[in-house]
Amino acid sequence: MALMKREEWQDLVREVDWTLSFADDNAVFPEWQSETGKVPRDAWSAWEESYKISYSEYVSVQREKEASAFAVKAALQRSTVFSSLDEGWKSCAKLHFGAVSLAEYMAFVAEARMARFGLAGAWRNMAVLGALDEIRHCQLSLFFAHEFVSKDPQYDWALKAFHTNQWVIVAARALFDAMMVGGNVVDTAIQLPLVFETGFTNLQFVGLASDALASGDINFANMISSVQTDEARHAQQCGPTLELLMKHDPVRAQWIVDKMFWLSARVFAVLTGHAMDYYTPLDHRKQSYKEFMREWIVSQFIRTLQDYGLKKPWYWEEFIEGLDIWHHSLHLGVWFWRPTVWWKPQAGVSKAERKWLSAKYPKWEEIYGPIWDQIIANVNNGNMQATLPETVPWLCNTCHLPQCTHTASHDGRYLVQDFALTHDGYTYHFCSRVCRQIWWEDRDMLHVKTLTERLLAGDIQPPDFAGLLKYMGLTPDVMGDDAYNYNWAADYDQPGYGRTRHANGERNMNEAHPIPINAKFGNDFVMQMVVIMAADTMAEVAQKVARHSVGKRVKPQTRDMVVYYEGRAVAADATATEVGIRPLQHVFVDYV
Amino acid sequence: MEDAVGPVLRMCDELELVVRAIEDDNPAGSVEIIDYGAYVRVQRPGFLRLTRASLERHVGVGFRMSQLESIMSAFAGRIRTSSDEVVWYFQTTNASSGENAR
Repeated sequence: MALMKREEWQDLVREVDWTLSFADDNAVFPEWQSETGKVPRDAWSAWEESYKISYSEYVSVQREKEASAFAVKAALQRSTVFSSLDEGWKSCAKLHFGAVSLAEYMAFVAEARMARFGLAGAWRNMAVLGALDEIRHCQLSLFFAHEFVSKDPQYDWALKAFHTNQWVIVAARALFDAMMVGGNVVDTAIQLPLVFETGFTNLQFVGLASDALASGDINFANMISSVQTDEARHAQQCGPTLELLMKHDPVRAQWIVDKMFWLSARVFAVLTGHAMDYYTPLDHRKQSYKEFMREWIVSQFIRTLQDYGLKKPWYWEEFIEGLDIWHHSLHLGVWFWRPTVWWKPQAGVSKAERKWLSAKYPKWEEIYGPIWDQIIANVNNGNMQATLPETVPWLCNTCHLPQCTHTASHDGRYLVQDFALTHDGYTYHFCSRVCRQIWWEDRDMLHVKTLTERLLAGDIQPPDFAGLLKYMGLTPDVMGDDAYNYNWAADYDQPGYGRTRHANGERNMNEAHPIPINAKFGNDFVMQMVVIMAADTMAEVAQKVARHSVGKRVKPQTRDMVVYYEGRAVAADATATEVGIRPLQHVFVDYV
Repeated sequence: MEDAVGPVLRMCDELELVVRAIEDDNPAGSVEIIDYGAYVRVQRPGFLRLTRASLERHVGVGFRMSQLESIMSAFAGRIRTSSDEVVWYFQTTNASSGENAR
């Protein structure tokens, strides 16, 4: 049967709207879902997708894609590839499956919303196919992960993760709920297809595929690069939507892009950053995370934004600086708090790996070297207790990730700072000025308590580390541990230094006396929750803060310590009450 | 490369054949190919074209333009598709070419 070319008939099936007269257009496309805003209602009739496809083409092409993906899987079914994969690489896959599988399903909901409330028939058609794509992605991801559940229970988190309150997942939900289902469909079209799908997902589904193939995980590489072919098409819903916004309300477009770009970049630092720079075996790393980000985001994505008339986000320089910092800090935190994740973090700091890190990131050794040296000394001294946490990091009220974002201070040093905001009598803490500003602009939106806040509010019982692990859904067979059983530490020949001495055996999290504070010690990389008592002197407060850092990640010194509160050093014999330290406030402790 | 546009092709049998088709459809020597293993970037500044005729010649008779979707994980620039060709382009470009005008 001779077929007409698609363009000879496509407009007949694209322009299928009519003007409603027996139903109220505002009721069928309510403002709170469709939010045309400043874009005139009839302007949507000009909406035209650039990446065209008919339904029959869709069915035919998708069938080919599925057959190809499953053919590779079937061919490898009886191979021993899985058992020969590097344990660190497997963590890339476990992290992916857990953080992505059900997010794909949420993306289906986003597409379905656009299919229902998009204000152009052609847009709704594209979104229907996009919704089918996301169902495919969710099912592919779960099916591919399922093969390994009998071999390793951590793969079960492909399905379980989003049903838990595990901290990385809480951060992922904070991003995805807002991006995909939290607002109207016009905003969603900019947040999801534009920022996320033409920007960041390329790192996880195409960039990481090159590391996967090099690492021997052919099946995974094939699956994720196939998934992204769907994305490349349905993400183009953003183009005509953005053109209309740029014509009628460019301020709205720029804000949505700026907000979602930052929040996506924060989550990708803990999703893709350490997968590329630490878990992928050294010999198989095609590029560093920063190099992949420069390729896909700084060059490709930003150039596309500019072609539509958008500017780089207002915080651009801070984002660029963050490419040297964020994922290294988050990796260190994930490794140190490894029982709280569902994969096995690979420390990635053998001498050869550190040499690679220093070559790719000139600041790495200065900021992270001393911290890892302390950890390595503890491992080699058999002091494993000192390599494990006894409290929780303080989590940012916007991105829900630990406050571990070094930023440049005015004297040129890179410091982790607390960005606090007191509003309506409550003090919020943020990892950065940008997260604080985004929170402020959206302060009337729904805000979910961070895990730190839930702990302080008594939502987590018992209020100790075991209680927290249970609250996050982590069972002993799943809790993470070092991927290589610490044998990488034998690479170092360091005599025992940094022997940890704790003031006493009690754990701060068990104390029932609250003045919980947001605290940091010296050059440690993260803010942590520490509980002090009203009658504690500053010398005692210093010890309590120090115990979670000194000897764990900070080299002990035989020097006095000082407490800084509200920017000033405080006398050692003053009590917390006398100083005026209140719950949730920030305290900094350092050697004199 | 400034103003780079073009497809990002995924690992598959036809990859090298598609690259040859692209080279046929664009000025000689102007196409840059960067191989990352699981994906290959094929790009040139400001405008790049791929026709079904060239694809049929290299990949096989009966190749439909829509089949390119299975091979293309991403692309740089904007895209315009039809049954006979796909073009990648920027509307604002420093590349001295009138090819990208609609």
